[in-house]
Amino acid sequence: MVMKNKFGQLKIQQMAFMLMAITLFFALVGMFFLTIQVSKIRESASVLEEKNALLLVTRLANSPEFSCGNSFGITAISCVDSDKIMALKNKAEDYNGFWGTSNIEIRKIYPATNPVECTSSNYPNCNIIKINEEEIESEYSNFVSLCRKEIANGQTYNKCELAKLMAGYNG
Amino acid sequence: MRKDGIEFSFTWIFAMIVGMTILFLAIYAATRITQTQETVIDASTAKEIGILLSPLETGFESAKTTSLILPKETRIYNKCNNNGNFGRQVISLSQKSFNKWTDTDIDVGFSNKYIFSDGFVEGKKFYIFSKPFEFPFKVSDVIYVTSSDKTYCFDDAPEDIRDELSSLGQENIYLENCPEESIKVCFSGSCDVYVDYSSKYVEKENEKMYFSGDSMMYAAIFSEPEIYECQLKRLMQREVQLIEIYNGKAEIVSAKGCNSDVKNELSILSGMISDIKGSENINTAVIGTVDDIKNKNEISRCRLW
Repeated sequence: MVMKNKFGQLKIQQMAFMLMAITLFFALVGMFFLTIQVSKIRESASVLEEKNALLLVTRLANSPEFSCGNSFGITAISCVDSDKIMALKNKAEDYNGFWGTSNIEIRKIYPATNPVECTSSNYPNCNIIKINEEEIESEYSNFVSLCRKEIANGQTYNKCELAKLMAGYNG
Repeated sequence: MRKDGIEFSFTWIFAMIVGMTILFLAIYAATRITQTQETVIDASTAKEIGILLSPLETGFESAKTTSLILPKETRIYNKCNNNGNFGRQVISLSQKSFNKWTDTDIDVGFSNKYIFSDGFVEGKKFYIFSKPFEFPFKVSDVIYVTSSDKTYCFDDAPEDIRDELSSLGQENIYLENCPEESIKVCFSGSCDVYVDYSSKYVEKENEKMYFSGDSMMYAAIFSEPEIYECQLKRLMQREVQLIEIYNGKAEIVSAKGCNSDVKNELSILSGMISDIKGSENINTAVIGTVDDIKNKNEISRCRLW
């Protein structure tokens, strides 16, 4: 009788261990699956962010905050008004996250000079305008003409230079 | 003593209970995973739709059109709010799966998009048409989304509207021989959507939506009154921000000896726009100021836009 009881107890113990093992196994499988799913979602989010930067950069120069419009006498596509951008830079906080990219940067590429970031004190003797101060991990860029009003001998004239408009994304 | 019936040992009962629990958990997990997958697909498609609208930004074009075909019957929900500096365009998606619409609990938001449509647009093929909104400078491109399942009839539209719509070639817009079930848009008489082109309002669902310019007229025609009013307010929010940028630019160029004549008027317009609570506030005074600024900027030696 005592032997039978002991044998029964052993079986229940066996079963309990088995159950614990099964539960642990399923929990591990579930966690593994969940990790894969989360990484897939993260990957697709970064792909979407990349796609956004790619498509945005091609049309950003036409958006009203950037485009030259008719202010330089002619209507040109991919023309960025640098005076307007400097005014936008002063309002960068208000525009935070507006275009859904981590940063937007305009870099003069011709004539080539040492990189100097534009501030209200050194403008226009500079060649990089950063809309946000955030570092760019990856970027897409597009060539644009960067135009502004200049003064020489008391006369105002339009000055346009070749620049790269960059939209950054983290991913 | 003999007992009739099936005898279950404790082990068997235990194994059955555990087996049933595991089976139940497995079925529950599978259902949840399927639902999560559907939500992920809905959310990423909504985001993708929003991103794909970026190339609709116009340059010199007066309007642009494109179509979007989705693999499944889809409902695109259009929501809007005026929070923050620019408000937010919110899109959510619901797709038909096993003859049931998936739940739409994930909203995807954009600050730089202005979509005009009904509360939700349903179908597999969607037409997307965009046009710049200028007031007096370009504020943004506004986007109109319609389903290929809905047709619009513009058979008595003025000549310039007819020309524009015909050059767009959007298949669900008819200028003549309109299908019976199409939504009638008329510029005289009474119909589903009435446009008073001289008094600048669109009457739809017994509500009047006032507009300025053709881009906002189309917006009122293709959208629900509530969405129209919200998006109009968002456009005005962006206008206020743009006025600040133009004022900043005016200061920069005036330091170079190039004075702009519209700085003061822009500040007046900013005040007027901040008071706009609805489309009915876009009155002759506001439109007059806008026209005045537009003319002054055009003849200015240093144009701001």
